[in-house]
Amino acid sequence: MFEKYMICTRGFKNVYEDDRPAGFQLKVRITYYRGIPVSCVESFDVTVDGETFSPDNVTFSIGGKSFPLTQVGKAVDVRWPFGDPATLIIKKPGGLKPGIHDIQVVETLRISYMPNSRSVATAKKKVTLVI
Amino acid sequence: MMTRKEFLKTLAAGATAAAYAPKGFGATASKMKRGVTLYSYQEEYYTRTMTVEDCIAEAADIGAYGIEMLPEAMVPDFPNPSDRWVDRWHDWMDKYRTTPVCYTQFQETKLYKDRELTDAEAVGNMVRDFKLAKRLGFKVVRGIAWTPLLHIEKALPYAEEYNVKFAVEIHSPIPLLGERIQQCLEMIERTKTKHFGFVPDFSLFVKRPPRIERDRKIRDGVLTDKVAQYLEQSYAAGVPFEKAKEEATRLGYKEVDNGYGTYLDEVYNRGFFGTARNDPKDMLKIMPHIFHVHAKFWEMTDDLEEYSIPYEEVLPVLAEGGYDGYLASEYEGQRFTQDAFETDSCEQVRRHHVMMRRLLHEI
Repeated sequence: MFEKYMICTRGFKNVYEDDRPAGFQLKVRITYYRGIPVSCVESFDVTVDGETFSPDNVTFSIGGKSFPLTQVGKAVDVRWPFGDPATLIIKKPGGLKPGIHDIQVVETLRISYMPNSRSVATAKKKVTLVI
Repeated sequence: MMTRKEFLKTLAAGATAAAYAPKGFGATASKMKRGVTLYSYQEEYYTRTMTVEDCIAEAADIGAYGIEMLPEAMVPDFPNPSDRWVDRWHDWMDKYRTTPVCYTQFQETKLYKDRELTDAEAVGNMVRDFKLAKRLGFKVVRGIAWTPLLHIEKALPYAEEYNVKFAVEIHSPIPLLGERIQQCLEMIERTKTKHFGFVPDFSLFVKRPPRIERDRKIRDGVLTDKVAQYLEQSYAAGVPFEKAKEEATRLGYKEVDNGYGTYLDEVYNRGFFGTARNDPKDMLKIMPHIFHVHAKFWEMTDDLEEYSIPYEEVLPVLAEGGYDGYLASEYEGQRFTQDAFETDSCEQVRRHHVMMRRLLHEI
């Protein structure tokens, strides 16, 4: 559910280190009907223009707090509010070129009250990056 | 023949009666009241086209004065909203003449990746919600259908302390006369508690699975028209589940269960949205323990009927049983249509309430 809203246009940009693009930022929303503890985020599989990024190169950030994506399982005291965009920062030396990019994100959540349940939602969107 | 004056008097009297007192089923006045769970407006809230206040105002505009809400979706800084926000919440209740009726609660059983909550943590989760329910003025807390009885029993003293009734949802595919309900009734009998009961969800009485769910699965490519038709026909013809599964697979059906059940499950009464085998009359057996009701719906047609659930069979049973709580409209169809159509949750809930007004003999 809410797949069509998962990938945000706003917030899509390169991130810079020492004035050079070191990666890019993409904002995503929850594909579920309530907010969840961040520890219930299982994964984000991000593919841009056919290139899939390892979770080792992704940081998840909400409400001013950041976690390596591989460590979100520990964030039991932080909540991802319903409808609020979270920020994914993906390491990619050189960043992305200005222009239209084909983005695909697979968002996997642990639905904590349902037995054996993962929510897996896929969204595809073309979004333009400027700087 | 009456004079114009007499005629106007009758008209006025009739209008007054309709505005303030629903006429009953036969000779009995139904005491049921209309409400809505703000979950129904989830998409508008999510996209920020409606605020919490907008949702409450809309509910009041349709006479759905009983409010249910998911604090995990709509309360900022959950589970500890500021006093200022809580004051605003109560101001909205006064301004719109609405009443907080039910707090939709969730157990975060799999909070930790590698283990389930301990018993103490599980009870702590419930107490967290009882506290917030009290702050917000809710008297009923809806619990997850399969919340373990051990946890519920340990939480009862807290339910008493915070003056809330904990009511587990009875949702499809749970049988109304099955083991789970029996165990709950035994616990209520044994403890004599007045703080534990049920929230029946009308998914229990589905006559045919939502066509919007079928159509969504077809658009998603997990189902074809041919397989869908085959499954519906085979269920109607009494073909056993395994045989239907075999034949559907031969026709190319390959749907994977991602936790909410496949279309095969739905048609064969194993899913959350599909054909159910409960008889509405079975609610009479648990009537004293029904604290709240989820008036579930997925699609209100242009004829102002719910496509899947026979409301004209369900509401009279509640009236017969003397249910005097709220019917909280729970619109859940948006997830099946939002990929291809514009959602208008307010319109769907409005249609739902016109249907209920008719069935409650308000109009």
